[in-house]
Amino acid sequence: MQKTVLVVGAGPAGLSAAAGVAASGLNVVLVEKAARLGGTPILSGYAKLVPSGEWAKDAMGRMVKRVEDASNVKIHKETKVTKLSGEAGHFTATLSNGSTVECGSVILATGFTHFDSINKPEWGFGSYEDVVTTTQVEQMVAAGKIACPSDGRVPERVAILLCVGSRDRQIGREWCSKICCTVSTNLAMEIKELSPQTDVFIYYMDIRTFGLYEDRFYWKSQEEFKTKFVKARIAEVTRSPDGRLLVKGEDTLVKRPIVIPMDMVVHAVGMDPNEDNPEIARVFGVGLEKHGFVDRAEHYTNTCGTTRRGIYAVGAALGPETIDDSISQGQAAAMRAVADLNALVQKTA
Amino acid sequence: MAIHEKSLIDSDRIKTSDNLVLDGVDVSGHWNTMILPRYLSNYDTDFGRKIQTFTGAENVHRCWQCGSCTNSCTVYAQNTDFNPRYWIYLTNLGLKDDLLKDKDIIWTCVSCNKCTNICPKDVRPEGVMKALAHWLEEEGHTPHTKSSIFDEEFTGQVYETGRIEDSRVMINFFRKTNQPLTPPWFIELTKRMMKHLPVGFLMHMGLHLVFKPRTKSWGRTGQVLREYVREQKEAAHKARTMPKEAVHV
Repeated sequence: MQKTVLVVGAGPAGLSAAAGVAASGLNVVLVEKAARLGGTPILSGYAKLVPSGEWAKDAMGRMVKRVEDASNVKIHKETKVTKLSGEAGHFTATLSNGSTVECGSVILATGFTHFDSINKPEWGFGSYEDVVTTTQVEQMVAAGKIACPSDGRVPERVAILLCVGSRDRQIGREWCSKICCTVSTNLAMEIKELSPQTDVFIYYMDIRTFGLYEDRFYWKSQEEFKTKFVKARIAEVTRSPDGRLLVKGEDTLVKRPIVIPMDMVVHAVGMDPNEDNPEIARVFGVGLEKHGFVDRAEHYTNTCGTTRRGIYAVGAALGPETIDDSISQGQAAAMRAVADLNALVQKTA
Repeated sequence: MAIHEKSLIDSDRIKTSDNLVLDGVDVSGHWNTMILPRYLSNYDTDFGRKIQTFTGAENVHRCWQCGSCTNSCTVYAQNTDFNPRYWIYLTNLGLKDDLLKDKDIIWTCVSCNKCTNICPKDVRPEGVMKALAHWLEEEGHTPHTKSSIFDEEFTGQVYETGRIEDSRVMINFFRKTNQPLTPPWFIELTKRMMKHLPVGFLMHMGLHLVFKPRTKSWGRTGQVLREYVREQKEAAHKARTMPKEAVHV
């Protein structure tokens, strides 16, 4: 029986799973395809995380350090798993750097890919420099300056468009990405903090700042930071002769078409299944659900399970997920992996 | 009429010039009929801030458009054009032109406060209706009515003399509202008064009409009253010039 757990992906979920398994005394092999640990919050340059408000590099930095400091965690960066054979309790994984790993179970913490706004050309991304994504605004906030990319001016008005790459049958994305509403209201506040003269408008169909995010983000953004919420799904972003952007759509509360000038338009991009999911499914022999995320086993008694025994999945690999919940799931999967290995050991004994 | 669909278009969006020559071609009359676009082309973000400086409307920006106010509204039950939820939205986005379309009904709020009682975000819609009515009046969008003219004449006399003279109020009111000074009902009233009131009293009234008596020592008191009213108006204006970013709750 192998006393090693293979964790794939070193984002919030993977780092949490690795730390959990390591703390229980088993060995961990952590495989990360990027050159840095920390996952999307680090690789995409997020500013302050929701809901803690802590800088991504500090919060993720602590998670990374905890894993790096653990003597029983072996880390492979810039590495992928290319082959997995065997069964629960006795897997053999082949890595792209040539090494092989004998492990008892596998935790997939392979995360998501940001929706690529180029797939909604009518909203101007790729055509106009001042149309950006929430990821880019995160980077602006991290750098401490909100400016229009075209000429560096401070925007008088910013429009944040929700549900870009979410809830859209046209482009085969029928899911809600869950966190964009909260992230957008948070960004609206951060924009206002850095640039008090900027008016921020959020164009929405629904506001889904679920649970405790309601008053901490949505209400606070509206009541203290004067974010304007406009009920309209924007149809098109174009440019007016004076160089400003025009957002076109229907304001369903006044039942009128709108063509409103803006200085910057922000796409609140959703979470796509990881673009590597077809490869991940093939290598690990797990199923994908209809949207392309890793398919979940029956959750009540097979928590964190996939369609293959001994392989668990956590975080945004399973569908749009928050950082906090990904971290909790990482711990849950660690528990599953360790408990299942113990059960196998007892069975063999 | 060339455009038979005109009935489908708000009349204020149809423009026709009686006399117009374009490139030497006479297009007077219906030939130059233009339909203004229906879309909204901008927000006036200062407008919401301005309305917020009126007492009662401080929380207007909190609205999330649930419609509880309109649903609970006493006036809405009688007239479905009376829609506080909609006007609050227009206020927050600064869609002033659309708000002005309803200037003749906004003030009909009866202040029952059911909306304020039910509002889940503590917007206090009743206060917003009051604020909008005050703004409309201040900007001159509320036409002078007989009752407002009467009020002005009445308070004007109080400012001036510390008292009102019934007959002078009536006569000035008739004048300002272009009414005959001797409507039949007024003659009848006067006749009956002459029949039943003592002659001394009537003479008193007549004399007062000519000599405009003032309340004793009204000079100083009137000054204090005028000063107080001026201070109150100034205080309201001070609030109204609040800087754009000073409004963190």
